Amino acid sequence: MVQYSYFPGCNLKTNAKGFEETAIAVSKKIDAELVEMPIWNCCGTVHTLTSDNIMKRIAPIRVLSRSKKHIETLKESPNQVVTLCSMCNSTLKIVNNEVKKDQEILDKINYQLEEDEETYETDMEVKHFLEILRDIIGYEKISEKVVNPLEGLKISPYYGCMLLHPEEAKIDDEEMPDVLESLVESLGAELVMSPLFKFCCGSFHIVDQEDIVASQVEKIVEAAKRRGANALVVACPLCAYNIDQQQEAMAKNSVVKSPIPVFYFTQLMAIAMGEPVKINHFNDHFINPEPLLKELGLIGRKKAK
Amino acid sequence: MSYEYLKFGKEEKDFIAKIEEISGENIYSCYQCGKCSAGCAFSDKMDRTVNQLIHLIQIGQKEKVLKSNTQWICSSCLTCSVRCPREIDVAALMEAVREYSLREDYEKIIISEISKEALDKLPNIALVSNFRKKTG
Amino acid sequence: MSKTKTKQENETLTVKIYIMGSAHEVPESLTIMKAMEYAGFKIKRGAGCRAGFCGACGTVYRKAGDYRLYAALACQTQVEDGMVLTQLPFVPAPKGIYDVDSLQPTASSILKFYPEVARCLSCNACSKVCPQEIQVMDFVQYSLQGQIDKAAEVSFDCVQCGLCAIRCPAEIPQYHVGMLARRLHGKYNTRTPETLIERVEEIENGVFEEGFKELISLSKDGLKKRYTERDFVDQKKA
Repeated sequence: MVQYSYFPGCNLKTNAKGFEETAIAVSKKIDAELVEMPIWNCCGTVHTLTSDNIMKRIAPIRVLSRSKKHIETLKESPNQVVTLCSMCNSTLKIVNNEVKKDQEILDKINYQLEEDEETYETDMEVKHFLEILRDIIGYEKISEKVVNPLEGLKISPYYGCMLLHPEEAKIDDEEMPDVLESLVESLGAELVMSPLFKFCCGSFHIVDQEDIVASQVEKIVEAAKRRGANALVVACPLCAYNIDQQQEAMAKNSVVKSPIPVFYFTQLMAIAMGEPVKINHFNDHFINPEPLLKELGLIGRKKAK
Repeated sequence: MSYEYLKFGKEEKDFIAKIEEISGENIYSCYQCGKCSAGCAFSDKMDRTVNQLIHLIQIGQKEKVLKSNTQWICSSCLTCSVRCPREIDVAALMEAVREYSLREDYEKIIISEISKEALDKLPNIALVSNFRKKTG
Repeated sequence: MSKTKTKQENETLTVKIYIMGSAHEVPESLTIMKAMEYAGFKIKRGAGCRAGFCGACGTVYRKAGDYRLYAALACQTQVEDGMVLTQLPFVPAPKGIYDVDSLQPTASSILKFYPEVARCLSCNACSKVCPQEIQVMDFVQYSLQGQIDKAAEVSFDCVQCGLCAIRCPAEIPQYHVGMLARRLHGKYNTRTPETLIERVEEIENGVFEEGFKELISLSKDGLKKRYTERDFVDQKKA
């Protein structure tokens, strides 16, 4: 079994437990086990776009250095740190790229890390789990493991902004990606394309400017529903929270009628591969997907093994 | 018709130089095509669109830039940066304007005023990213 | 680094230290705290247990010819030649007012009272300054991640001296965060100490009254005899 050094990111342990547990379960099934780093720190997203702030670049480099140490204890593990969270993926990739190109920044950061014996030698790569699925495992192998095809689910992929921007962090073409589309199809679900697949959800404005997020979510969900979607699939815990929670808040004020559930891509994989329902942690969601799944017969019926 | 006389002296030039220094970008690369504003997911909420703000920076109008809400509504989604035909990192310019304010006036979000109910519900990633952009 | 030692009449070796800028010759074997008192200072704030446990005597210093900043507890650290000292008897960091009974052991409980934890840069300045050699950054990160049990374990040796909070660029009060984590962990994660509850009941029911009365009535010799002849066999089970 190939093992990958897995960096959770702070949110995967709190609001996105379902994301993590399903990912780990699924990763074992497809022979690409995610092994959590023994010690890790918050990556400090959203990455700084200034050219002169070294302090805000220390956290991601520390993650890379700690991951390198972890890899030395794993078997058959490439020099890669794998993330589930799109925001972490973006931040780590951007900083990794910056220090590979600019020795001066790396020297300054290593100076801070030297005393902790956590200097970074620019020998790591950062991968999002979707990249592993597409490039190493392949969709055919994923389809082979599907025992419970997701028939009846009409899923609209929502990438969010961090998975496709900028150039050095994107995992697919930024205007016409298909990594989530191919995954959805390989799991037997119906695909619904929406033009707002990367229309920013509002991200961190949920803290103090909630109305901005509400406006974005309304547009995103409307565009998907109008084209026939009954669910969304995402790869970022903050997008998931924003779209999920805002739909619930707006449903209370009757702004949104019939909200649609938001799935993490690993939750879809887990259901399709016959994993137990409870690892999805659906009761953490604001719009519970279980009624829809039960209605379509995807959960809650006896499967012949 | 009304006219406005704009000053363009040392203060204005210093402002432009500082924005260029923080962002690492050349402000005069922009030829105002407007593609950034067209792709910006939040254009409808900004008092000045992205390209309008950049133009103001080009003519050094610091006060107007700092009073605008454009840079604070920007979420660093980077759609503008990947689409700019002059390959300007537009989001970096927005960040530089934010940093210019934050390096003087420490906090844009007043952390002590966030309600306990909100802090109980919000995911930690939202707080981390918000504070990264809105505090110095 | 060569030490300049001055021999006094009774041959005590001394070193030169600077207390808030003024130079003093003090015996080299003294702790910083004792050395300040030797030099004539009376310490009113910034001394407590004098045993490395209360965290009152946080000290920040540099050494002559060395640009680095060091920190220590004054009562536990021996003086060195060329030390330039200042005390930090008080570190300003308002503690959140919370009721542990109404919280849960989650990241949200910590962020509710200390939202600045989300600003942590992972720079590790806090761990480098900790006189107890605690990995402070790690327990702050564990708190942010919601791993309250690990945060409690890693912060266990904290004496609340406050030096970490003073060095933090993100202005987090790390020692308060550790305290909240330990309180939540103790209340919700660890087992209820059944034996403690039983023992308190026994005491309240007067099970030990006789024994205590007897001990109090003994003379000093009687006590000594009891002490030297004690054994650890449980008399009830013997």
